Amino acid sequence: MSAAVTKVPRHIAPPAAQSIRPTRAAPRIRKPLKRDERGRPIPHVNVIVRDTYACRLSDHYRNTLRDDLMYMTYTHEPNPKPVRPVPPRFDPNDPYAKFRYNPPLGGTQSFNVPQDSVTADNIVQLERIQLHTMAKEAFGNRSSLLPVIMAFRAISGETEHSGGQRTVEGVQIVKGKQNIGGWTRLGHPIGAKVDLKGPKMYDFLSVLVDFVLPRVRDFRGFPMQLPSQALTLPHSGSGVVSIGLSPDALAFFPQIEVNLDAYPKLFGMHIHFVTNAFGAGAQNRARALLSGFRVPFARV
Amino acid sequence: MWSRNALACCSKQSRAACAQLRSRTLATVTDAAGPSSAPTSTPKASPSRSSKASIQAAVVLNRSPIITRTPNPLERAYYAYQSRIQRALFNPFPDEFYFRPGSILEGQFNAEEKQREKLAFGGPSVKEKPIQTLVDSDDQVGKQQQQPMPRIHEADIKGDVRSLDRQMERNLYLLVHGKDSAGKDVWRFPQGGVEEGQALHQAAERDLYAECGEDMDTWVVSRKPIGVMEPSSASASSPQAYVFFYKAHILAGQATPNGKTVKDLAWLTKEEIESRVDQQYWASVKDMLSDS
Repeated sequence: MSAAVTKVPRHIAPPAAQSIRPTRAAPRIRKPLKRDERGRPIPHVNVIVRDTYACRLSDHYRNTLRDDLMYMTYTHEPNPKPVRPVPPRFDPNDPYAKFRYNPPLGGTQSFNVPQDSVTADNIVQLERIQLHTMAKEAFGNRSSLLPVIMAFRAISGETEHSGGQRTVEGVQIVKGKQNIGGWTRLGHPIGAKVDLKGPKMYDFLSVLVDFVLPRVRDFRGFPMQLPSQALTLPHSGSGVVSIGLSPDALAFFPQIEVNLDAYPKLFGMHIHFVTNAFGAGAQNRARALLSGFRVPFARV
Repeated sequence: MWSRNALACCSKQSRAACAQLRSRTLATVTDAAGPSSAPTSTPKASPSRSSKASIQAAVVLNRSPIITRTPNPLERAYYAYQSRIQRALFNPFPDEFYFRPGSILEGQFNAEEKQREKLAFGGPSVKEKPIQTLVDSDDQVGKQQQQPMPRIHEADIKGDVRSLDRQMERNLYLLVHGKDSAGKDVWRFPQGGVEEGQALHQAAERDLYAECGEDMDTWVVSRKPIGVMEPSSASASSPQAYVFFYKAHILAGQATPNGKTVKDLAWLTKEEIESRVDQQYWASVKDMLSDS
């Protein structure tokens, strides 16, 4: 944070480039690259695509939300209560329990641990968004998953290993884990999901909030629990906020709307917002973060 | 650059300040405001100071950035470079899924795409302007005239510090010109006293309303103060106050000075605030303000 940086009035800086034109021509190719078995060129280095633009919502989080969330979630505890030690389930001196998994008595109760003291480093933050849907028709006809995959690709813009990123998995097919009569079958594809991280996650969030939710009919906000509900229930202690979108809301995504005829059937989806909130009251903190991104919540 | 230090300092400072307050017997401070309470409980702490000190609540009213920050030349070059890599690597676009084969829209898209490709990889001879497509209609003429809104507002050119539209990329804070707790005319944040039995965050909201009028919607972020200004030891003779600061956002409307305690107001960035307030005030508020 040098003084020179802050002193320069930023509105004098030249406007953003209109194009992505290179500064000079690409060098002439003297020796062609090696090709792999499918005829694609193999570059000399691992090429990875990083951010291609400054993300608006990520800026908003850094400029405004982060400060506000710290002030809102801060708890003033000048004299914190000493933590009562919970004895382990098995006597640690017992030679039979020496190498055994020895959790505290009554379970780990991870949803019940009090919130860490809030500092600038552990403010609640959006980590990823997962879209997930189950296409029941896929049980009889596997190809009915294709429009679902296509729609998820259009909405999320993710493909497997896109931009050379090893961890990007793109749209994944969800397979049944058990045999349940008339519902799932072991190993049978029944749905699709996609994980969004980074700028694409924020892009999806802004599209959802700016284009989709305002146009959903009779929508008053996503329901949330009564204030009387205890903060230490397993659900309230989780930092994942899950919402559901109805099938008709899918048509409001601009990426789907542009060629709506191409999709034989619309489907609803679950949207899981995964945050780093943890412990008692984590659900409330995660919702506070999301309402900072203008996701509406209401008590119904 | 975002002020990580600001966050850290605020929490640390307020915690330290609260600890100090406790050691200086907060009770005596409130007793000074209400003379009805028993003065016998005052311990050995400097009596001349504690008898005069009072508690005040101030509001740091923030206007968040309206537009995204203009990237600097390095960032622009970086983003352009990454965009070219992305263009070189991306999966083929499924034309037939989005356009009917042979449609006008498809032709238009392909022409534009060719131009974009040329811009990205063509070299220095490529003109910046995209080539006019063969399809010429009223829409095309309208598109040509469309320009993005300027990133600099009139208020920046005129130097109008009262406008909420100035410095759109920056965080602005409301500073008012009025009397401070000692009765001096200074630039400060909107502030006021705390009534008996009133919570501090409610007092902050009420004082903001009283000083800056009813023509705006605001939201006080939390019930906890974000910082405190302690009375200076130098001016022990004048009446002194502990000023607790609250963060708030302006949601709609505009502040209007009430004319009595507040004569003028200004929406200022962090650097501009430094030049208007005195040294001691700046030292206690600077870590609450955002650098961006």
